[in-house]
This record gives sequence, structure tokens and C-alpha cells, in this order.
Amino acid sequence: MDEFQEILQDFLVESFELVEKLDEDLVELESNPDDLELLNGIFRVAHTVKGASSFLNFDVLTHLTHHMEDVLNRARHGELSITPDIMDVILESVDLMKALLEKIRDTSSDDGIDVSACVARLDKITGGSGNVETPVASAAPVEEVAEETTQESSEESAEDEDEIDYDSMSPEEVEAEIERLLAQRQEEDRKKREAKIAAGEKVPEMPNPDEGKEEAQEKKAEPKKEAAPAPTPAPTKAVSSEKKEAPKAAAPARKTPAQVEQTIRVDVKRLDHLMNLIGELVLAKNRLIKINDDVEERYEGEEFLEELNQVVSIVSLVTTDLQIAVMKTRMLPIGKVFNKFPRMIRDLSRELNKKIELIISGEETELDKSIVEEIGDPLVHIIRNSCDHGIEPPEERVAKGKPEMGTITLKAYNEGNQIVIQIDDDGKGLDPEMLKNKSLEKGIITEKEADSMSDKEAFTLIFRPGFSTAAAVTSVSGRGVGMDVVKTNIEKLNGIIDIDSEVGKGTSMKLKIPLTLAIIQALLVGVQEEHYAIPLASVLETVRISKDEIYTVEGKSVMRLRDDVLSLVHIGDIFEVERILDASEHAYVVVLGLGTSKLGLIVDTLVGQEEIVIKSLGDYLKGIEGIAGATIRGDGGVTLIVDVVALMSMAKDVKTTTLTEGTEGGSAVKEKTQASDYVVMIVDDSKTDRMIMRKALEPMGITLVEAGDGQEALNILKSGDYNFDAMLIDIEMPRMDGYSLASEIKKYNRYKNLPLIAVTSRTSKSDRMRGVESGMVEYITKPYSADYLASVVQRNVNFKAEFL
Amino acid sequence: MGDKLKDIINKQNQQQNSVAEQLDDVVQLVGFMIGDEEYAVPILSIQEIIKPFSWTRVPQVPSYVLGVFNLRGAVIPLIDLRLKFGLPAKKHSEDTRFIVMRNGDDVAGFVIDRLTMAIRIKKENIGPAPDTVIGDDTIIEGVGKQEDKIITILKVNKLLERDF
Repeated sequence: MDEFQEILQDFLVESFELVEKLDEDLVELESNPDDLELLNGIFRVAHTVKGASSFLNFDVLTHLTHHMEDVLNRARHGELSITPDIMDVILESVDLMKALLEKIRDTSSDDGIDVSACVARLDKITGGSGNVETPVASAAPVEEVAEETTQESSEESAEDEDEIDYDSMSPEEVEAEIERLLAQRQEEDRKKREAKIAAGEKVPEMPNPDEGKEEAQEKKAEPKKEAAPAPTPAPTKAVSSEKKEAPKAAAPARKTPAQVEQTIRVDVKRLDHLMNLIGELVLAKNRLIKINDDVEERYEGEEFLEELNQVVSIVSLVTTDLQIAVMKTRMLPIGKVFNKFPRMIRDLSRELNKKIELIISGEETELDKSIVEEIGDPLVHIIRNSCDHGIEPPEERVAKGKPEMGTITLKAYNEGNQIVIQIDDDGKGLDPEMLKNKSLEKGIITEKEADSMSDKEAFTLIFRPGFSTAAAVTSVSGRGVGMDVVKTNIEKLNGIIDIDSEVGKGTSMKLKIPLTLAIIQALLVGVQEEHYAIPLASVLETVRISKDEIYTVEGKSVMRLRDDVLSLVHIGDIFEVERILDASEHAYVVVLGLGTSKLGLIVDTLVGQEEIVIKSLGDYLKGIEGIAGATIRGDGGVTLIVDVVALMSMAKDVKTTTLTEGTEGGSAVKEKTQASDYVVMIVDDSKTDRMIMRKALEPMGITLVEAGDGQEALNILKSGDYNFDAMLIDIEMPRMDGYSLASEIKKYNRYKNLPLIAVTSRTSKSDRMRGVESGMVEYITKPYSADYLASVVQRNVNFKAEFL
Repeated sequence: MGDKLKDIINKQNQQQNSVAEQLDDVVQLVGFMIGDEEYAVPILSIQEIIKPFSWTRVPQVPSYVLGVFNLRGAVIPLIDLRLKFGLPAKKHSEDTRFIVMRNGDDVAGFVIDRLTMAIRIKKENIGPAPDTVIGDDTIIEGVGKQEDKIITILKVNKLLERDF
């Protein structure tokens, strides 16, 4: 049974590939009916599928493909010219073929889809050139004949195949073959049983009232196989020509596996796993780079640094290459999606009575598999929309002085880390005024919004749910759902949509999509003490502004960005960040673009650009609005990734808190009732120095806390265990020196008024200046007298005289 | 003689059975303190116990969800049981630990005040949760009675369930 499954799998994979190409070729054939090479190619596809399916006992499929083959064979020999009507029938049969293949894939059997009507029509085409117009008064007999001939020829072709196969088979294969034939027998029995059940099933592609009858006929046909009736003249010809063709057709089919050996089919799960591992590696690399930077800083000028540097850069280089290589294994050419459009355009143009030409370029551009899967639907919607609403009917086009044939260009190309898919049409274009009026009518926007809307913004109205510009709803589009779906899907991929249009000239739509989803480039931003990562694909630009550039309009913050007004929101308001740091005079605005909308996100600092690996927050925390996931940074900490889509919608409801608020003057100051209520921190890396200071201050009876360096001091301060009244800070310390410590402390609102006293042996004027700049209030140079130190501290902590 | 042999065999069987019963009947728990109460969870649901380290705040969650932390490459939520049980927040001390619990694919870290000990307790000494909290929603599995105290045994699957 497994052997059979394996062969079946190969058959399905091959057939689907062939059929996919068939669609494309057929449409091309219609415009070039005399292209013999093309015709031969198409014929071979039908033939290969027929051969293989008869071999695997898929009678219905064989039956259908056989008749297709007949028609194509005649065309190949010049006995038939392909007219659009014939093409319709052929395309219909290709659709049926696809349906059958899907059925086989899902149920391992091709029962339950009725092909007789299509076969009859195919047969009509081949049934003598004079016969074409004959109405099917006696459809049944014709089908009967068809039925018989199919069985007959399929049997023969099966024999053909068998012979060839056994010759080229290795002993193991022969053994497998025997096993397979056994399995086939069982399969057949099973199918017969299933046929009864399947008879009741609904037919997806072709409505046929007398399905039951056909089923019965097919069953009837089976015993007739034994009877082997004399084949009618026409089929004989087909069979003979087929025999002639068989070696030729088989040859390329046999050659292909040899070429295919160059590739390996790999389970997507394995690639995903590989991708995850690479993700871990990227994290480790980021971490290594950070450590390298730290080491560099500390051991400046040491010899081993050179070596370390080299290793780190090699590791990061190789990691990047590896990541790209693995990403590439997941890449598929976008042609896989584009391929179905020629057929779609053809069907649509016939349905809508328009003349439309599709020009495709850049189909070799590659995209991540997951994105290729997601991009299909939006493109279908956009192209349908262009056909239906964009391209005008031929008469109208001629009247406007345009060529009768409308053109839609579908093009894909790389642009940096993104791929751009551009869909242009030369139709009537979008009229911003009309779009606005329509939206007003439907209550999608308000009068005020309409007035302040630019043309570009008006174009984006077509993506609003419930919007449709078509006067009449057609079967193609106009239900006002499609374009909304486009927007949602593209945003899901972190993509951007850009529309440009000119009335009478046409519309151009650009979809900009990141190449991959798992590892992305992100902009890291800081707000207070927290960091967030914003996908770089959504960042248009960053601007540094001062507070007075922010205006408030109707309770919303806005700013002027060149000629536009950009609405602003503070990241702290969205993520409920506690304001503990002092707001600085300047802020950064990260301009986010998504689809067609823009938003300015105010952040405190820009940290930089980094490659990040997206990790999920897990079940417990999933679905937090505004957070797309998390990533682990070089220092091992977790940074949350902003969900730009959600953020945009959240921004609408966020109330702005003014940026300058929150100066309550720190925690309530407790009344000092005794000397030990005063707390002073001594920060010095030298134990002796700390001891000297302690000796000088202890007589006052105040509480003293010691810290060995700036970092430790900051941690003690932040822990909030003590309420310090003053700090004595040495300048030269490891990890964090006195100046940095002072400026760090001054960032916090609550420590703004905490007196910082420098105690140092640095005496130059520039040192003093730096001290003042970083927020020190006093500058004591070593050596000092104990009394002097005590008096300076007393003065700065407002020491009450009664405790002395 | 035959009777004696039977007796011995019977006795042995009984002993073996009772050993098996004993193994079946004993539950191994890890006890910890939250505030003044002692709680316990089954030892098998604990993945590891670690010392506290830094975590990242996550917005829009109840206050008892402190945020997420990095456990060897996995991003795991961190829940403060003090806050979850309605006690006031307390600064982390030397004794504070993160207990990482797992139930199927659900993993989370829980902040507890202090570990007590690993406890073996007989099933018969575990009583049902008090009447007032019985129901499907309770996070209390039962109450373990020991000589000098009682321990509240918590349901790990309930602890790991998102309830906001």
C-alpha cells in the first residue's frame, strides 16, 4: 500500500505541475494558434497525465484526458483550428482535470466528479469536422461509444506504458510493481464500493442533472471491457497516432527525473526548524557583538582584542550568510502566483466583453513561501478590480482615443529588503471627488474628513470596508469586500500599499512586502527605561523635533511634516509607560507607514537598527493589543515588538497626556525627627576613601550607605530602599564614572533635586565644568578636612541645628 | 508444610501490595510561602526553580502579570503570586524565587516569597478544598494535612490558565 501511495504522490506532484503550466500555455495558444511547438507541448501534458492515470487506474481521469488528447491531436495535425469556442471547452476540461486531481489527492480516488458533459463536447469537436454543429439529440449513444473507446484505448495505452516500464525497471522496482498491482486490485474493489456512496456526492465544477445515469453507465461500461468491441474508425486513428507519439512523449517524461535529481523535496517543517535554529544563532551573534563592544571598551589597546575582533566579525559574517542561504531555501518565485492570472484575465475579459491584455514581468523574483501563499488572494482581488472597474469597454476606449485593447501590467521586483509588486492598468483611473462623494453617501467618512482629504488619501477609501465604486454589483466585483481583504492581508504581511491614479489615464498600485517573516530588521526605540522594536518595513523615516513643534488639534497631537500634517501619538500613552524619567526638551518622531496611512510615534530615544528574531509570547499572553511578539536582545533581555497595524488603530482612541506633566516633586518628604533620618550615599571605588568619608560624617549621626561604583550606586538608588538626602560621588570609578552617574540620576524626575557632591582629586577647571554640566552642586577636592566635608553635607541636606 | 508455604506467599503478596499501595498513595509536592500562607504544587509540574532576574514589562495586562523573561531563548510570562492572591507587592529578597511550571505546552514563571521544602504526603491526608471555594473555577486542588500545619495545594493547570 505504501508503494502505491508513493507512486500516487509522485503522480500528483507531477500532474499538478503540468496542469499549472497547461493553463498558461493554452492561453498563449489562443493568441498563437499556429504555434506547433506549443501545441505539441500541450498535447504531451494531456498525454502524460492520461498515461499515468490509466496506469494508476483512475478511469474517469483517463477518460477525460483521452478526449482532450484527441482534440489536441487533431489540432496538432492541422485538422482543426483552435477557435475561442473550442478553447472554452478545452479550458473547461482542464478545470475538470484539476478538480479530479484534487479529488484524487484528497480521497485517493477519482470517483464522484462527472465529466461526461465535457467529454461529449470534446467528442463533438473531434467527431468529424462536419459533426461539430450536430445537436446532441442522441447524446447517450455518442457517450457510450466514447465510453467504450476510452476503456479500449486506455487499456492499450496502459499496456504500452507497462511494457516500457518493465524494461527499464530494476528487480526491486519490479517487485514493488507486483505489490502495487496487488494493491491496485484492492483499490479497485474499494473504489467500486465507494462509487455507490460517491454517486450521491455533489459535483463542484459541472452541474449535471443525469449524474446517476452516467454513473450507472460507467459501471455498465466496465464489463464491456471484456467484450472488447471493435473500435470505431476515429478512435483507431487516435490510438494509432498515440502509439506513434508514445515513445516521443515518454522520452521527455523519462528525462525529467534525471534533471529533477538535482533538487530534493524537503518537508517544510524541516526548513522551519532550520530557520528557528538560525534564529537562535542570530541572537547569539547579536550577543557576541555586544560583549565584544564591552570588552573593547574595557581593554582598549590590548593585543588579544584584534584577534577577538576578527573572530567576532567572521562569526557575524558567516551567520548572516547562513541566514540568507536558509532564507533562500524557503524562497519561491512569485511566478507561481502570477501563472494563474493569464487564464483569469482571459476568462474575465470574455465574461465582461472587454479586451484586456496582461503583461507579466519579474516572475522570477523570489519570496518566502509563507508570503507567496498569502499574496495570491489580494492579487486576485486587485486584478479583478482592475478588469471590472479600471478597464473600460472597447467602445468607450475607442471613443476616448485609447487603443481598443486594455493593458494590465503585473510586475515584481526587489527594492532593498522588500519586494514590490506593481499592478498598473490603463483604464479610467480613480476620481478622488467621486470617491469622496461615494464615501459620504455610504457614511464611511464625514463631511469634515472629506474636505481635509488629499487625493492620495481619497484613493485609500477604496480599501474601506463596505466601499464599492461599481454602480452595479457584478459577479466579478463590486460587493465592497475585496479591497478591504487586500488591505488586511497585506498589512498582515507587514506590507505597504501605495496607490497612484490619474483620471482617464489609469491606476497604479504598489504592494511593498518584506522578504521574510521570521527574522526582520527592526528599529529599536526607547521610552523612559523601556525599549520596543518596530519592524523597519513599516518605518518611513525618523525626525527629531522639539516640544514646541507639537500642536494640539481637538485633543490630538499633530505636527507639520513638510507639506503634510502628521498625527502623533506618544508610545508611552499606548503602552502605559510610567513616566519616571524627566522629559527632555527634544523627542524623536518615528513616522510609521502602513498600507496607505501614516502615523507619527513619539519616542524618547532611538537606540538603533538591529536584526531581530520574532518569538511568540505564548498562549498565556497572546493577543495583547499592539504587541506582535517579543525578541531576545544581545544582552539576554526581552524586547517587545510593536504591532504596527494594531498600534495605528489604538492611536485613534488614545488620549494624549501632555508631555510636560508629572513634576509632582518626587515622593512626599517625611519630616526628619532624628539625625539618623538623614541618609547619604558614599560612592567611591576605594575602600579607604569611603572609610575616610565615613569617619568624617559619622559624628553627625546620619545614616550612611556605601557603593563601590556608579552602577552599584544607581542600582541602590533605583531599588528605593532608602530616601537619600545627598550623595558623595567620586569621579574616577570603574563601570560607571561619577559624571555618567550624575547625568543618569538627573534623568529621573524624583531625583532632580537630590544634591550630588563630587569628591575628587581632579582639580582642573574643565573637570569642574563637567561636574556642573552633569548636575553636581558641589565640588570637593581631595584632600579635604573632615570638618569641611561635614559642613558641606550639612548645608546640602538642610541638617537641622537641633541634631548637632 | 503446604499451608505454611501458602501463608508465607500470601504474606509476601500482601506486603508487596501494600508497598505498591504506598507508592500510589503518596503525592510529592514542593511547598512555598506566599505572604504567611504555605502552598504547594506537584513536583512533576515544576520545570525548574530559578533565582530572580530581570524581566520586561508587558502592557495591558493585570498587575499580577509582571511581564516576560528570557529562559534560555524562550520568552515566558512571569506572574507574581502575591499580587494574584491579593497581597500587597513586596520587594524581591534573597529568598525570592521564580518557579517555572509546565502543563503540556503551557509554561509560566511564578514569583514566590520563599521555598519551604519538598513534601511527601499521603493521598488520604489530602482533603477537598473548603466548601466555600469548591467549584470548577477554584485554583485549589485540595488541602494537605500535616502534623502541625495545613498546606494549600494548587492546581497547576488553573494557575497557567489565562484569566483576563
